[in-house]
Amino acid sequence: MLVMNNISRIYCGESIQTHALRDFSLTVEQGEFVAVTGPSGSGKSTFLNVAGLLDTFDQGSYELDGVGVDGMNDNQISRLRNEKIGFIFQNYNLIPDYSIFDNVDMPLRYRGLSAKERKQRVENALEKVGLAARMDYLPSQLSGGQQQRVAIARALAGEPKILLADEPTGNLDSLMARQVMELLHKLNQEGTTIIMVTHDPDQAREVSRNVQIIDGQITDSKIYAPVAEMPTQEVANV
Amino acid sequence: MFSYYLKLSFINFKRSPSLYALVLLTLSVGIGLVCANFALISVMSGDPIPEKSDRLIHVSMNTWATETPHEEPLHILRYRDAMHIEKADMVKSTVTFFASGIYVRDSESESLARINASVRATTAGFFDLTNAPFAYGTGFTENTGKVLVIGDELNQQLFGGGNNVGKVLELAGELFTIVGILEPWHLRPLFYHATENMAFNNTDDIFAPLETAIDLNWAVHARSSASDSVRTLDESRDKNYFYLQSWVELHKASDRKFLQQYLDNYSQSLKDAGEHPLDIRNELHDVNEWLLKQEVVDERVLAFSIATGLFLVVCIFNASSLLLSRFHAAKFEVGLRRAVGASKSQILTQGLIESSLLGVVASVVAIGLSGLFLIFSTEMLPNLANLAVLNGETLIAGVILSIVTANLASLYSIYRANRYTISAELK
Repeated sequence: MLVMNNISRIYCGESIQTHALRDFSLTVEQGEFVAVTGPSGSGKSTFLNVAGLLDTFDQGSYELDGVGVDGMNDNQISRLRNEKIGFIFQNYNLIPDYSIFDNVDMPLRYRGLSAKERKQRVENALEKVGLAARMDYLPSQLSGGQQQRVAIARALAGEPKILLADEPTGNLDSLMARQVMELLHKLNQEGTTIIMVTHDPDQAREVSRNVQIIDGQITDSKIYAPVAEMPTQEVANV
Repeated sequence: MFSYYLKLSFINFKRSPSLYALVLLTLSVGIGLVCANFALISVMSGDPIPEKSDRLIHVSMNTWATETPHEEPLHILRYRDAMHIEKADMVKSTVTFFASGIYVRDSESESLARINASVRATTAGFFDLTNAPFAYGTGFTENTGKVLVIGDELNQQLFGGGNNVGKVLELAGELFTIVGILEPWHLRPLFYHATENMAFNNTDDIFAPLETAIDLNWAVHARSSASDSVRTLDESRDKNYFYLQSWVELHKASDRKFLQQYLDNYSQSLKDAGEHPLDIRNELHDVNEWLLKQEVVDERVLAFSIATGLFLVVCIFNASSLLLSRFHAAKFEVGLRRAVGASKSQILTQGLIESSLLGVVASVVAIGLSGLFLIFSTEMLPNLANLAVLNGETLIAGVILSIVTANLASLYSIYRANRYTISAELK
């Protein structure tokens, strides 16, 4: 699904160069749930940005779902991002004056789907996260946990091959965090590949593999289970 | 996608109404001034009779009878020179006239109040040559007689409008019968009399036969020049008294060389007869050449055009800087859209559609402001009254200019928005 070989990402300042990733190699298989951990500044977010095609890399090669991204122009990369990747951010990143429906609909707008198909996909995605009844609400009318589930629905609406989550529970209390994690495990059990950056060691142990990054390189990789073995339960509205 | 981009534009307008109102006003003031100025210039530099402007020729001659010639051939002719042109057989029609003015009243009116009317004392060819539009009756066919044609405005003033052909007017104690009444007739510029700062006067109130006007010694209300002593106009026919203007309508524009030859031969014959000592120098100008030579577009208006253009540039920079702050505030949304799959070209298209929509709204405000500027100009400078018109051409130009200007103003901010690192605003 995701194959990175010897990726380097160097940020050039006025007087110093920072190696955010150096000779970084990682392969993620279809259906895996990988947790990426490491101290602040270790390169976790840079890895996620490069993996999500939000940032470029200076050396190495990267294939996503069998497609090499090197040499692609902006239109091709944007299309790949739109069709193959779903993002979940720590801060949810919902547009506050758009309805829940319009927020989830946003990625589909850039795919050229018919209004009917978009509506169907948005409803399905919101159904999956248990918020179908609130599609006309504004984000401010929902709790933090619900907002993160809307963000997950937005990531799912495009039926991506892979979900990239950057500390998805970082702004949530433990109860809401638990429910979001349950949702992610459920999606993973349904076949969605997930890469999640987290600081929480418990969350890292719950997934199929934990990759630790320090100074832009993978220093440790623990395999816990081929597929996450989280107990599944209905997601309650929080 | 177009409807989606429109929807996003309206949402953005709703988010920052005061900022967009400020941008709108900034652009509208600049565009409004340019449009008002464009309205003046387009009228001033327009072709007043495009259907035959290349076949209508103004004649200037150099037959001054002394050793001290004018720098340029005179645009005013003496009677016998003008009559020689009237006899030319290679042309379609000719007209000879001078401008005058007279007090006029309805001879049947109980009131003795008279109206000060502008007069064109002219040969009969005037009406065909200028395509004068008749509402009632026809032009006169002879250059003599107590008949006249009146304009629509005088018809309204004297009779309240309607068909008044056959009615009799009193002009300086003489009775004239109306044989024709014109429709409202606006010639901008007034090509047939573009000299003496009269290019933007209204068309005349009264058109009277030339010979009658000369016999009655009506005053010449335009430039005249004489090397002989002339006490009254009826003495002018045989004298070196220059006051008539002459226009010729050719069958086709290429006949101009035959007219030139005709006039040059005539001047040579006068010189051979010792009537003038000057080089043969007769000048012909078609309508647009003549208007250009007369510099009917005032230099002050041209200078004002440059000033309004520069002012518009300042407005664009101001609007651009306002929009930059708007796009700076929207960095997060741009980053998010890029993250979920919008390409740079899609973000650019969205920005341009938003700007174009802003431009369309700005054009409506700008055209309103243009109208106000023109009204204000007319109040300050009454001689602009006949020019201050927002025609269809100006309105279309205003809309196009608004859209282009709004896009120019937002180009830099859209460019900047597309240059942000996508991940920088997303956590």
